[in-house]
Amino acid sequence: MSKSDVILKIYTILLLGIIYVPIGVLIVFSFNNSRNRAVFTGFTLENYYRLLADERVWSSFYNSIWVAIVVTIASVFFAILLSYAVTRYDFKGKDILDMLLLIPIIIPEIVEALTLLLFFIIIGIPLSPWTIIIGHIAFDISFAYLVIKARMAGYDPQYEEAARTLGADELKTFFRVTLPILLPGIIAASLIAFVESYDDFIKSYFTRPGGFSTLPVHIWSMASRRGVTVDLNALATIVVIIAIFFAYIRIKMERWM
Amino acid sequence: MIKYSVELENITKRFGQVVAVNNVSLRIKENEFFSLLGPSGCGKTTTLRIIAGLEKPDTGVVKLHGQDVTYIPTHKRNIGMVFQHLALFPHMDVYENIAFGLRMRGFSDNDISRRVKRMLEVVRLPGFERRKINQLSGGQQQRVALARALVMEPEVLLLDEPLGALDLKIRQEMMVELKRIQREVGTTFVYVTHDQNEAMVMSDRIAVMNEGVIQQVDSPDTIYMRPKNIFVASFIGEQINFIEGVYKGNQEFEAKGGMVLRVSDNPDAINKKSVIAIRPERIMIGDKAPPRGMNSVEGRVEMMVFKGSSIEYRISANISDEIIVFVPNISPTMKMYKIGEKVYLTWDPEAGIVLPFESKPAEPRKIG
Ligand SMILES: Nc1ncnc2c1ncn2[C@@H]1O[C@H](COP(=O)(O)OP(=O)(O)OP(=O)(O)O)[C@@H](O)[C@H]1O
Ligand SMILES: [Mg+2]
Repeated sequence: MSKSDVILKIYTILLLGIIYVPIGVLIVFSFNNSRNRAVFTGFTLENYYRLLADERVWSSFYNSIWVAIVVTIASVFFAILLSYAVTRYDFKGKDILDMLLLIPIIIPEIVEALTLLLFFIIIGIPLSPWTIIIGHIAFDISFAYLVIKARMAGYDPQYEEAARTLGADELKTFFRVTLPILLPGIIAASLIAFVESYDDFIKSYFTRPGGFSTLPVHIWSMASRRGVTVDLNALATIVVIIAIFFAYIRIKMERWM
Repeated sequence: MIKYSVELENITKRFGQVVAVNNVSLRIKENEFFSLLGPSGCGKTTTLRIIAGLEKPDTGVVKLHGQDVTYIPTHKRNIGMVFQHLALFPHMDVYENIAFGLRMRGFSDNDISRRVKRMLEVVRLPGFERRKINQLSGGQQQRVALARALVMEPEVLLLDEPLGALDLKIRQEMMVELKRIQREVGTTFVYVTHDQNEAMVMSDRIAVMNEGVIQQVDSPDTIYMRPKNIFVASFIGEQINFIEGVYKGNQEFEAKGGMVLRVSDNPDAINKKSVIAIRPERIMIGDKAPPRGMNSVEGRVEMMVFKGSSIEYRISANISDEIIVFVPNISPTMKMYKIGEKVYLTWDPEAGIVLPFESKPAEPRKIG
């Protein structure tokens, strides 16, 4: 092994360590039977039982899920239309539209969240779950758009013409050819949009109405009230496991694509 | 009575300012291997797409088997098409790709499986049913695309530069295959290409096209030996010589400078400014003047290139600054002329084809 190989290996291990050791510690301590965070005294599922009995955990989990579903459907729908327009047609302002759609990914989320909140206040929209949803859609469209556009750019309109020469009418062509070919891209975009919304804290926190929490917001309020407790470890573990599950589906999807 | 598979009558198609197809009329016979040959951008693909119904002509009539289909949509025309980039469905395996058209037409599963199997034998890919498209080589994908179109038993198969993406060796192999398959299935093939070699090797007849206009429709040998205009003469074949002058009639051509050459007759050109076209391989070269009564042009060797199977000379003479001559390499003792040597050129009257003069003939672009 050459010297640069060794350095590369150490670097990789360090990097993965920085990312995963804290998560590992978090998961291990979620099974700790002591209230003391620093010492592992014994294994228990007690923390999880307590958590699952907490009605507010359930309601915020439920909120996170339904918000994410609505956000996913809406942003993927708009992303399909937008990428279809940008990849298939030539029109004035196409480049500007393309750029505007990418900007939400690069501007700091806190800025976006603040401006959204101000915007709602200025035009007099009372905060509600729907203001959270609007905020999430505003940047989830960008992620979904990126993925679907990439898929559509690689899509040859000759597939549709080939189907026509083989006797398929417009409808059959759409359902048998166009949709199945674009489907992996649509599913990948949906997964990203879902996770982005489900994970989001800053925007949800700024644009939520009083008394309404999503899971990340609930975790924050637990932490700020009582500090990082074992309950919090358990909850965070569940959140992480769900996220890993989505990442896994996404990797599987990529193989399929 | 001759039956026609495809008839185009005065078809014109514009894209904005561009006239892609300009008043094209064609009649393609049943079971014919017919090629549309021309440089890039001359309107071949557009013509083919008009036959398929993927493009609507601005004016003109399209007939398939005598029936006017100008306003019939693609999926109701009985045509098959092989696209330049093949457009095999990436989400289906070989079997499903070939079966697609049959499913659209509502064939039974038994029937489909029988026909797909037979078609795979025709294109020599038996046992490939469950292969994914991306697990096939370029040549194999080509065969699947052919099978997918042919399994429908279309009255006409349209092919748009289907061999363009293949490398030389597989391309030559596929040319032979295409010709074999065409004979075997007995379908009319309309083949679009910018490669004259492909068109020459496979076609019964070739339509040479330039800037949206059909220049000539003839068999490959006639196209090569009897081109109708300067464009066809220079687009087809490796090289050709042009000599300007006036056709006097009676097989006599007065070249610039007054020299009279014997040429083949062209009654339309009498007493008009004309050009004679002579293929380099039809000109003989010698160091003595040919007998009286034969064409005889004195010149000087300017360049000599040994090309293996032949030797190429460039000769300057008073009738033309540069006459290209190919001498076949038939014997190791053949005489080779050196640069600067004085030589005499001669050719049969019949090798000099009289063509109408064009002040600015379209410059054919050769590709491949
Ligand atoms: N959809 C279109 N919109 C605008 N112009 C077009 C369109 N399709 C073709 N053209 C133009 O029409 C002309 C003929 O195009 P066509 O594709 O028929 O040429 P071709 O002979 O097939 O060329 P190639 O060998 O490069 O494929 C070209 O000048 C082309 O730019
Ligand atoms: Mg073309």
